[in-house]
Amino acid sequence: MKVTCPSCGLVGKVTFEHVYDASTKVVKIRNLTKTFGRFTAVEALNLTIFKGEIYGLLGPNGSGKSTIIKMLCGLLRPSKGSAEIFGQQLPCKPMMQKVGYMPQDTAIYLENTVHENLQFFGGVYGLPKDILEKKEQEMLRFVNLQDWRDSLVSTLSGGMRHRLSLACALIHEPSLVFLDEPTVGVDPELRALFWGYFESLAEKGVTVIITTHYMDEADHCSRVGLLRKGRLIAEGRPTDLKQQTQTQSLEQAFLSLTRGNET
Amino acid sequence: MRLQRTLAFSRRTLLQFRHDRRTFAFVLVMPLLMILIFGYTFGGDVQGIALEMVNQDMGIPQGFLPQLPDGLFLANDITENLNEETLSIHINSNREDARQRVHDGNAWVAIVYPENFTQTFLTAILQPGTIPPPKIELYLDGTNPTIVAAVMKEITGAIQNTLSELSASLNITETNMPITVDQVYVYGGGETRFIDYFAPGVVSFAIMMVTTMITIILFVNERRNGTLQRLLVSPASEAEIVVGYALAFAVIGIIQSIVVLVAAILLFDITIVGNILLALLVILLLAFGHQGLGILLSAGAKNELQAIQFIPLILFPSILLAGLFWPIESIPSYLQPLSYLIPLRYGIDAERAIMLRGWGIGEIWIDLFVLVLFAVLTLSASVLLLKRKN
Ligand SMILES: Nc1ncnc2c1ncn2[C@@H]1O[C@H](COP(=O)(O)OP(=O)(O)OP(=O)(O)O)[C@@H](O)[C@H]1O
Ligand SMILES: [Mg+2]
Repeated sequence: MKVTCPSCGLVGKVTFEHVYDASTKVVKIRNLTKTFGRFTAVEALNLTIFKGEIYGLLGPNGSGKSTIIKMLCGLLRPSKGSAEIFGQQLPCKPMMQKVGYMPQDTAIYLENTVHENLQFFGGVYGLPKDILEKKEQEMLRFVNLQDWRDSLVSTLSGGMRHRLSLACALIHEPSLVFLDEPTVGVDPELRALFWGYFESLAEKGVTVIITTHYMDEADHCSRVGLLRKGRLIAEGRPTDLKQQTQTQSLEQAFLSLTRGNET
Repeated sequence: MRLQRTLAFSRRTLLQFRHDRRTFAFVLVMPLLMILIFGYTFGGDVQGIALEMVNQDMGIPQGFLPQLPDGLFLANDITENLNEETLSIHINSNREDARQRVHDGNAWVAIVYPENFTQTFLTAILQPGTIPPPKIELYLDGTNPTIVAAVMKEITGAIQNTLSELSASLNITETNMPITVDQVYVYGGGETRFIDYFAPGVVSFAIMMVTTMITIILFVNERRNGTLQRLLVSPASEAEIVVGYALAFAVIGIIQSIVVLVAAILLFDITIVGNILLALLVILLLAFGHQGLGILLSAGAKNELQAIQFIPLILFPSILLAGLFWPIESIPSYLQPLSYLIPLRYGIDAERAIMLRGWGIGEIWIDLFVLVLFAVLTLSASVLLLKRKN
């Protein structure tokens, strides 16, 4: 069912009440802490994320969102505490086949074409040739880059690169995806399309963990976690957070919560 | 290790080169330019060395000796045997003036034949033991060893040729020849040019420079663009990444070496007597080892600018100590042991042995062993480096 979101105008297959499988824990974080030298980027974080959720990590710049995602991908070693995905302690190479990761910086090969990038990442995940072919077509359509298939990435616009980066993270049909600000610099129409796609993924049981600064987007998450200075200061469904702070929009809830925690 | 995954890395890297034609052209043209520039300017034979000739030799007149009905002017004969391209001869009648000209830097050498040069020579030959052999006086500007060597080679060569021309009419044998210069070539013969000696070195040097520099830059970019993080989050193992890149560099290295060698044969007429496949194997080993070195060094550079700073660090020891231009024996002896630490040394050594002497694995196994060791060490260290996490 295609609807237009009443609060933000995003068009997509929007279902405000997410149905997720609360019996299957996909991500389990216990007392997770990361320090860089004397600086604590993430402090004593506890999180559980379930199958089929779209979990939004929100927070001001430098609050530790990317650091958390990097630890969940096994890129950074936690200073303290533990992180598990699919019940496996990280790092765990074989498990990475099921994980998709879109870093915050557009991590694609600038000196290769769109097609070559997609083929490469498909190959890295060992997709058989025929499936890779099909997935590449699907991804090109999804991020609307069909006409740019044979262009060098260095000749694409910033938003287009970002779209390709997203496509590269999803080409192998992961069941857990980490998207670090996937919609930065993407035009509104395409953003709506993206969210429609994320929700269709979630419906298929894919767990999506996403960071964003757009509160209208956060409204589409099943749950959001609000970070400030490396600490989780609030967590819950967007509607609950709004109720709790007695505000009309998530934006106001966000501001009231971050201010309320000021010490 | 999965082949498909490994090949994905090689494919992508090679495709990147296909789009970047200029870099690929550089890879091929750089070694040829080096051969051209250095081979001809550096090692070309010295020419036109200014020489002052003072010929006071009176010789012997016609009919003086029955064996020599035409008479003999030994100094003239020697002079005629001097190569006029190597030496630019200026006739001077005044010995002091000739000396002065060397002193003033107008000539590199002055050569003086005394008045009784032919006389003394004949007496020494015909009545052995009565008088010492004749003397040629040489006044040399010894500041440039290359020129001194060229002059000495030319003069002794001319004397020897003159004597062997005379040996038929005079009874000159090896035992009573006033000057003997033995020149026996085991390899290469007399006409090995510097360029022949230089080409195998350049091929090795080019593969080292290209592989190291491109690896450093590729990996600095991988890190900085975040693609490396992405790969580390994939199921691909660090070893697959490293081997995938290695295969790409192997392809690039082989193409480079073949193009350079064929061009060098066609353009500069260099000689290769050994097994080409063995020569390519050495190239591959050099490429693998230096790829590993490049990955290790890339960890020490945050951006391309910092990566460029590694160039002199790699370039100078290789140029100075690995025997590229001059033999390792000509390096000061206290520096010579350092050359053992430079992998390129073994590559150059092996390539020269294969291409110039036609040696096989049996003779160059030590070089091969060191190169294999170097490749295994740097590649496994780079796998470990990629595995390291913050
Ligand atoms: N490698 C590092 N070394 C030192 N400090 C770091 C490192 N990585 C991150 N930090 C610090 O950790 C903090 C959290 O960074 P992080 O990238 O997780 O923020 P973020 O929430 O993703 O911010 P943004 O919204 O800007 O993306 C920042 O203050 C940053 O300076
Ligand atoms: Mg971030």
